Amino acid sequence: MPKLVIDDREIDVAARTKVIEAAAQLGIWIPRFCYHPALGSVGACRVCAVKFIQGPVKGVQMSCMIDAQDNMVVSTTDEEAVDFRRHVIEWLMLNHPHDCPVCDEGGHCLLQDMTVAGGHGLRRYLGKKRTYTDQYLGPLLQHEMNRCIHCYRCSRFYQEFSGFRDLGVMRSANQTYFGRYENGVLESPFSGNLSDICPTGVYTDKPSRFFGRRWDYQRCPSICINCSLGCHTVASIKYREVKRQEARFSEAVNGYFICDRGRYGFFYAGLEERSRQAMVDGKEVPFDQAVKVLKEKIEEIGRGQGSEAIACVGSARNSIETQAMLQHVCQLKGWANPSYLMDRAITKKVKSAISRLEPELVVSLRQVEAADFIMVFGADPINEAPMLALAMRQARRDGAEIAVLDPRPISLPFRFTHLPVVLDDLSLYASALIKTAVGRDAVKELGQNATEFYDVIPDVAGNSYPVKEQISNLGEKLRSSQRPLIVCGTEIVRETTPQLAADLALFLRAAKGQAGLFYLMPGANAFGAGLFSRVEDSFEKTVEDIENGAVKALVLIENNPFWQFPNRLRLKQALDQLDLIVVFDYVNSVAAQKAHVFFPTTTLFESGGVFINQEGRAQAVPQALTGGIPIAQTGGGDHPPRVYGLGISGFEARTAWQILAELADLELHSEEKLRSKVWNWMIETIPGFAALPPIGELPDDGIRIELGAQPSARFSMEGITKGEDLAEKFELIPVEWTFGTEELSAHCECLRDLAGKPCIFMCRSDAEDLNLTDGDQLSIELDRGIIEAKLRAENDMASGTLVIPRHKDLDWQKMDNGRALVPKGRIKKIT
Amino acid sequence: MAPKYPQILFQNRKPGRIATLEEYRQSGGYQALTAILEKYSDKDVQEEIAEARLLGRGGAAFPAGTKLMSVADDAPFPRYIVCNADEMEPGTFKDRVLIHTDPHMIIEGIIIAGYAVMAEKGIIFIRPEYESGARIFDREIEIARKAGYLGKNILGSNYSLDIVVHRSAGRYICGEVTAQLNALMGKRPNPMQPPPYPTERGLWGLPTVLSNVETFACIPHIIKNGSEWFKGLAKTETGAGTKIFCVSGKVKRPGCFELPIGTRLSEIIEEHAGGMIGGSEFKACLPGGASTPFLPPKYYDIEMDFDTLRNAGSRLGTGAIMVFDHKTCLVAATLNLTEFFVRESCGWCTPCREGLPYIRDLLWRIENGEGKEEFLPMLDRMRRHLWRAYCAFAPGAVSPLEGLLSHFEDELREHISQGKCPFKSI
Repeated sequence: MPKLVIDDREIDVAARTKVIEAAAQLGIWIPRFCYHPALGSVGACRVCAVKFIQGPVKGVQMSCMIDAQDNMVVSTTDEEAVDFRRHVIEWLMLNHPHDCPVCDEGGHCLLQDMTVAGGHGLRRYLGKKRTYTDQYLGPLLQHEMNRCIHCYRCSRFYQEFSGFRDLGVMRSANQTYFGRYENGVLESPFSGNLSDICPTGVYTDKPSRFFGRRWDYQRCPSICINCSLGCHTVASIKYREVKRQEARFSEAVNGYFICDRGRYGFFYAGLEERSRQAMVDGKEVPFDQAVKVLKEKIEEIGRGQGSEAIACVGSARNSIETQAMLQHVCQLKGWANPSYLMDRAITKKVKSAISRLEPELVVSLRQVEAADFIMVFGADPINEAPMLALAMRQARRDGAEIAVLDPRPISLPFRFTHLPVVLDDLSLYASALIKTAVGRDAVKELGQNATEFYDVIPDVAGNSYPVKEQISNLGEKLRSSQRPLIVCGTEIVRETTPQLAADLALFLRAAKGQAGLFYLMPGANAFGAGLFSRVEDSFEKTVEDIENGAVKALVLIENNPFWQFPNRLRLKQALDQLDLIVVFDYVNSVAAQKAHVFFPTTTLFESGGVFINQEGRAQAVPQALTGGIPIAQTGGGDHPPRVYGLGISGFEARTAWQILAELADLELHSEEKLRSKVWNWMIETIPGFAALPPIGELPDDGIRIELGAQPSARFSMEGITKGEDLAEKFELIPVEWTFGTEELSAHCECLRDLAGKPCIFMCRSDAEDLNLTDGDQLSIELDRGIIEAKLRAENDMASGTLVIPRHKDLDWQKMDNGRALVPKGRIKKIT
Repeated sequence: MAPKYPQILFQNRKPGRIATLEEYRQSGGYQALTAILEKYSDKDVQEEIAEARLLGRGGAAFPAGTKLMSVADDAPFPRYIVCNADEMEPGTFKDRVLIHTDPHMIIEGIIIAGYAVMAEKGIIFIRPEYESGARIFDREIEIARKAGYLGKNILGSNYSLDIVVHRSAGRYICGEVTAQLNALMGKRPNPMQPPPYPTERGLWGLPTVLSNVETFACIPHIIKNGSEWFKGLAKTETGAGTKIFCVSGKVKRPGCFELPIGTRLSEIIEEHAGGMIGGSEFKACLPGGASTPFLPPKYYDIEMDFDTLRNAGSRLGTGAIMVFDHKTCLVAATLNLTEFFVRESCGWCTPCREGLPYIRDLLWRIENGEGKEEFLPMLDRMRRHLWRAYCAFAPGAVSPLEGLLSHFEDELREHISQGKCPFKSI
């Protein structure tokens, strides 16, 4: 623990702390441009100079480059150091365009702050300014190179930290240029972070360009609900509209950065087509009237068919409050038990993942960075949860080995081993890895079941697995790793795979004393949905109940099955059989258009809420704004708005749980009281929530919900056999893409062009067997219709598999629930 | 006319062509290599070179022996030996002459130094303008390989080394050790601040020893004749060996001269370079390339050694002596040199990238009649602050300015007071 003195104040810091960080711990903020805690020290900008008066280092030196050591005496205010810093700022400002009045960074610009703070008030330089040509970098960022002060943060983040190569440094000397090799859309799905880390206005947020200064915005902490990771953001609101999101530091979850889907995925909240009025039979009615009508209709159905004929469906994007209230109200009213997840398989996988997240195994997103071997089963990080790919890259940069077992064509921004195996075999290989990576001795401490399980696993050596050698190699590496981590998806994998992934993690932990387990889940609050769901409940079952006449009224709470239900025709026919369709939502979905009664609900920005991410971390979001039609819309784009009236237009929306409470005639009191009432009910009733504090007392990084170890869930021997040989059939797997498949972000105009073109992936050798070539227009005949899309032949994916993104422009919902198997003869080229 | 001093590095110098392998052998070439492979350990070689007090000839004068010894015994393999032939210091052309004189002397030096650290791969990093030199190396390396001096099991020993020629893309900063390593690895040639030092973690994280062409050329002679002989070559107590001086500017016979370390500047100019050209008086010189401060007339008799020049506030650098006469405007000369450094900055750190153009601007104004008194303290303060840049480039770049300010301030003031350059007729 080095002890040093900075500006006459003593401090002990951890070994290898830089002086700039040691000063920060004392609350002394040494100027910096190139230094960034996540990107480290490089000593390029020279503005963090301080004077070392005593100790092992002497003179004016860069505080970011020198480790704090014993006996150091440092002055940040020494005249020589201050004069040097003033010169550095003067040099940086020589060529700066001084265009702060028209620069979006103005007001939160580090360069502005440093120029003023550094005392560089008067310009002495008489020469001409250097100018650059700006580039088109796509829909998310505006490029303005003249403002650049060459701190190299952008290229370091883009290339070193996030692993993409299309933006970087070019030219040299005082012509050094940061940008792409030519105009074009940035390839990295983390590019938005450039606007956060750029210390001046070279990269500014394009969708919110010229809309406001930092101080014009209501800024509010929030989290991202565009995938299950729950990254922290700051929402910026102006004129009743979320205009911009930035990354918010979180020690446990996302660190300093977020992905572009998360950063720009909020525009669904302010869409002009968003319905803000309650509607009955397509006509706008006052809210209370809609409640009244609905109550009557429900009562009528209840009288005729029994209250069980009323089925409610929540979703993985509901807040916990809504999910809980839904459960509560269904119980009170005797309605059918609510479902939250799309089909039986997903419900089962999410529930088993939740039960297997034992406290000793579960790791946070940040802890992924510390692993030295990451084994991924059936997950496509960059497409399903981009920030996971970024965390994995940090592990890779520290030397971790990474292997992915997945049938899809996986692309990640770092070197890794990809074994493209069919879904049927994932569980088998997971078990094979247990056998190769863990010795039998280590198994014993896990008990008799574990030993029996271990002995049942077939030996890799004696088998004819297609990837036998690679599995043995991976097993060997896993065996020698110190801090292994198992990552497992829950979307496309078989029901046994999350189980075997957890078993593998358990065995590794028994052998090494340390191992991590990290699941991805289908939705921001899929964890909550899984906790509230009974294993037999799913939307799939609800559809069956509609088909067999048991359900006559369907209430969809922030759920649009038209987005994700794999069989659209069946869904339509089922809905046609209903007497009553009720939709609560904040997006104008296909389901909402079919509703007999529609209630507008609030977004998380308008109401706040608690969401549980995929590791079980319950995180609270405060309300960021009072809902209503954005002023730009009410004013027709003019300012000030030309519509006058009392109250806020479009204010009718309420939280979904409030509307539910009204339906159940719960005593309304105040909103806060109601909220804590349902919260307390949940803590008392639903297992797993008992450890949560009263609402409003969740810390910033949330609290992890822990169900404890559940030994009964372990070591099921299901799935450790070779999958059936599909011979002449292909398995069709609908998958997620970074952009264009996630429901909320798909509403965002600025992300629209970033989604790839709709297509179907097929292994190149399979394509050759069928005489198909890359780019052919395919027709795939399924039992429920024909899917047409362009073929993309990939070398690096599993043979016997067809991968189809759930692209909004692709009419893919033509499969039955469960596996879609396509005989070879049904795949044709359209000529 | 027989040379006044023993010619060691230039022993086989002849007009118009290189010394062949045969000629080099006849002059004692590759004897040192044969000897060390037979009876020297790697440590013996390191000690002999350290004992000879051989200082790096590329400009920084780092002790070559110390550098070899800094490769740890248990350092990982493969290790690299790099010959820096990126001779871009303005006024310097000794490496080019050496390559065109006796390439095998350099090759043998690389092999012996490689043996001293058990390097497996040698790289000659050569500037693109030296394409003819690169071709000489390509050809002569192949000849050395055929003769058994390079490749697997050199001369039947257990030691193996091969050398490749790497043509630089051409920037001044590529001559800086760590920038050169980055360039070799295909990265931008930005310097990297040690630690770790290249001998610990250099190319691809492995131990790498990098030295100048002339340094390598000295090594076979040290091994062959011993460290005492080498030290005895110098005229000064502290110096060792000979030095190739590149004399240019207002002298009658500019050129490359191999002279003992410590030869007086006056002797170099008057005897070897034939004296000042007619009608010219010595006004100043840059003693060691463009990145050394001017020497004023009071040092006309100085002994050209590393220590003596350091004491005079300058540096021996590469030993490239640029001579200026009384009719030359040193403000214009400094401006010209600064232009070069402005262009060649790698752009990594602020003082160098932005500070140098500022200095250039101020010098340009002074030279072109727009100078102001207040520019002088600004220049002085900025050139001091440029010492706090990331690497040694910026301190080198402001060296001529430093000499200008300390010895020729009057000339600067005259520019300002006259509102024009006094050396220009109009």
